Amino acid sequence: MLLSPQGASRSLAAVFTPIKSRGLVDEVCGRIEQAVETGLLTSGQRLPNETELASALGVSAVTAREALSQLRSSGIIRTVRGRSGGSFIADNVLPSRERALEQLDELTRLQISDLGLHYQAIASVCASLAARRSDAADVDTLRSFIPATDADPLSWRLALSEFLLEVAAIARSARLARELIRLQADLGTLTLLPCADAGYRNASARILEQTAGSIEAHQPAEAETGVKSLISTTTSWLLAEHARRI
Amino acid sequence: MTDSSTFSSGGADSAAADDAARAAACELDAVVVEIESRLSVWAQEAGAALAALDGKVSGTAVDKLIRPVVEELVRTPEGYAAGAGFLANAGLLGPERSYIAWWQGTEMEHVDALANFSPNAISRYVRAEWFRIPVETGQPHVTGPYVDFLCTDENVLTFTHPVFCRPDGPVAGIVGMDVTVQRLERGAVPALRRIGDRATLVNQDGRAIVSAASDIDAGDLAVAAEGCRVFGVGRRFSIWSGAAGI
Repeated sequence: MLLSPQGASRSLAAVFTPIKSRGLVDEVCGRIEQAVETGLLTSGQRLPNETELASALGVSAVTAREALSQLRSSGIIRTVRGRSGGSFIADNVLPSRERALEQLDELTRLQISDLGLHYQAIASVCASLAARRSDAADVDTLRSFIPATDADPLSWRLALSEFLLEVAAIARSARLARELIRLQADLGTLTLLPCADAGYRNASARILEQTAGSIEAHQPAEAETGVKSLISTTTSWLLAEHARRI
Repeated sequence: MTDSSTFSSGGADSAAADDAARAAACELDAVVVEIESRLSVWAQEAGAALAALDGKVSGTAVDKLIRPVVEELVRTPEGYAAGAGFLANAGLLGPERSYIAWWQGTEMEHVDALANFSPNAISRYVRAEWFRIPVETGQPHVTGPYVDFLCTDENVLTFTHPVFCRPDGPVAGIVGMDVTVQRLERGAVPALRRIGDRATLVNQDGRAIVSAASDIDAGDLAVAAEGCRVFGVGRRFSIWSGAAGI
């Protein structure tokens, strides 16, 4: 029987919702933006031409051309004509405070807190698994992601997301790791905002140290609490800022 | 395969059980040895071919050399490779330059190809265990089980082998192969069950790869049961006839 007495199950309904797949062009753009954010590609650097880009990423030349033109219109790359021409990573492409604030203004309180809860749910299971499965080398790597409190907001934002990603790596669950990556993409540049606040950085640095310690000492419950409070510190900061701006 | 059995068997029944356990361990050993020897043959061939290029090593030349082998590996029916490739050490294509020629899946998805356009891509790999250890020691290595964020986003074992252009020369790069834990589990669980209901295949750190015991997951740290039999599997793995999670 297809339908349960209460009607179609919710999970069945989900099967019929339209698939919104990001097109190949978006995928290529996403890769390049990500490469810029993680420092693999830097401002002023020359990008490969259409043909090279297409063959490297295994897409058609048409897709590569469209991707380059999309990146151009969003200001990620600039194109110079002529003999020494080509496409270059633009200056000031790194996530900016302005862009992060724009993103914050578009969200509702509900969206921010819901995103925070989802992030907490995934990251806290990672943390308790990591506390069970960590070895000495894991903990060394994890500690290497704790930034100095006076580091700039951009490196802080990157370090925080790398720290949680490393917790997922130590947990060794592929599904949870993939979900964490997706959540970080959903958070976008938002996390840049609290990283500009010294008070937030000091509080977070303490939590990062404690969490690394709990993971090292194989204390799943403490590790979970640490990661949860790290994320709720971020969410509360964003909610306070959101309230201030309305 | 080595069997450092720690108890002597009595009676005909236990002798038969011993033989069955040994045969099962041999089966698993053969699987891993085949992966390791395929890789060392590939490393030698790649080294010779790179040496024949006589210092004129380009990305295109590397791709041409590596791609056909990867294609054969990932498309072998019932094969173990989820992905494979070559990663150049600094110096081969230029000072402080790396080059990645790595593909995954039967669709031959080109992995991390954008990194080849980055002048600082080498920093992405130098810290990775699967690259660092074979380069530092000049010896083959297995990394994992770990969640591989760079390629598969799956729980994998990465087998890597250094490549030399000259026997006494520096490490030119590494060839490697990703084997998913999932793929290994399929064949390994029935074999482990024949050894014991808590028989576990572990890596050199005592981390479980596959276990006959349902409470030991891939990635868990395990301890050998007292007085259990130990069978060597490939260069770095062991089977413990009995194990417990910690």
